Amino acid sequence: MGRWAPVWGRSLALILGGVCLGLLLQVQVYTPASSTVDSNYEQAQVRTAIQQLEGEQLDLKEAIAHLREQLEHHQQLAASETETLHELRDELAAQRMRAGLMALQGPGVMVSLDDSDAAALPPDTDLNPYIVHEYDLRDVVNLLWLAGAEAVAVNEERIVASTSIYCVGSTIMVNDTRLSPPYMARAIGDPATLYAVAMDPAYLRDLRRRVQQHGLKLTIDWRKEVVLPAYKGGFAFEYAQAGGP
Amino acid sequence: MAGVEGVVLEVQTRIRKQGLWLGAWVPGLVCLLLGVLLVVQFRTQGAVGRTSTATGPAPMVVLSTLVEANARLRQERAALTSQIAEYQPTSRQERLTALVEELNRLRIANGLVEIMGPGVEVHIEGPLSPLEMQDLVNELRNVGAEAIALNGERLVASSVIASSDEGLVVNGQPLTPPYVFQALGDPQNMETALTRQGGLLMLLSLAHEGQGATVTQRTRMVLPVYTRPLQFQYAQPIESKRTVSIQTR
Repeated sequence: MGRWAPVWGRSLALILGGVCLGLLLQVQVYTPASSTVDSNYEQAQVRTAIQQLEGEQLDLKEAIAHLREQLEHHQQLAASETETLHELRDELAAQRMRAGLMALQGPGVMVSLDDSDAAALPPDTDLNPYIVHEYDLRDVVNLLWLAGAEAVAVNEERIVASTSIYCVGSTIMVNDTRLSPPYMARAIGDPATLYAVAMDPAYLRDLRRRVQQHGLKLTIDWRKEVVLPAYKGGFAFEYAQAGGP
Repeated sequence: MAGVEGVVLEVQTRIRKQGLWLGAWVPGLVCLLLGVLLVVQFRTQGAVGRTSTATGPAPMVVLSTLVEANARLRQERAALTSQIAEYQPTSRQERLTALVEELNRLRIANGLVEIMGPGVEVHIEGPLSPLEMQDLVNELRNVGAEAIALNGERLVASSVIASSDEGLVVNGQPLTPPYVFQALGDPQNMETALTRQGGLLMLLSLAHEGQGATVTQRTRMVLPVYTRPLQFQYAQPIESKRTVSIQTR
């Protein structure tokens, strides 16, 4: 037995070495296997995520394509509507101009009227011929329309379809607004015609007579440019409505 | 790996069967095997590492690309959705309706639309002078007429009653008595105002005896359209010039 003793010791070393090897082998065998499982799992997850994202992308792209179509449709619709809107705005501007809602400038005439300043009139004199009356102003305005005026104003009041020129006491009212002398009636239009008609002695006979006899002031000026204010009142239609029989 | 295990077992078996003295061989062999194993181990791990670096980043890059791309797509979708929302039919419709209503009102004011409503009819046997007729129109406007027609001619701001060689003319049309004014508005108020003591109708009746003017309330009258063209050749709007200068700024 003594002869074998060293052999036993060495066998022991071998066994230990074998165990170590076995452990290493265990590690060797399992390590790559387990890491393969991990990365497979990971990869599967990544694949799933990619698939999900790709699916989402597809949906998004479809939705965007659909929205673009919708938007294009809206834009086309809006373009044609904008055209309608433009036409409507143009038409509205033309109607506003015609209705007197726009301030205007252009060549024309100015007819100004003022009371006589004849002083020292004997008492009991009839003052009527010496002052400007609402009908005087009315006659001037109507004469300007008759002469082909495109637009007419008196002082800061534009003459529109609903305008009435009347008096309250000795005050002349235009568009329900008090005017004070001098009364400056301006008209835009062909200045030659306007001037010729305004100067024609066949018209405004009463006024011209009072200018001669009572010193009433009437001046008619040819103007390269007159400025007419816009009508500031409203057009209320409570009773009238569009429609026929 | 099974091969390595086999070698170890064979060595162990030989030692037992042959009883060989292997004192110098055993540690050497063990060391060798350990070395081989370690190398194999490292190689395997290295390979695993490489494969994971080779397969890992590619999907990761795809993944992050997709995440970013989808985020952008979602933004695009949101932008498009809000753009479409701006084309709301209600606000568009309201704007359009408001414009059309304003336009219709102005067209009524300008006499370009046939209109109907209650009012009064003023009947005068005539004849009257142009100035008297003009005063009557003014009187009707003064008592609140919203629209006026005279013998079938709609009167607008520029309508003037003038005299010509053949008699009276309105809107370029001959005007012969009797004169019938149709004025839309509150029938009761208008009749009261027109027939008041000292009013224009009373004065006219006094001036022209036997030509009595009659005022009749009407529940419904239809006024025709003003047909004469109106062109602005000399007048320029000041407002629109201002707008243009603001826009070009």
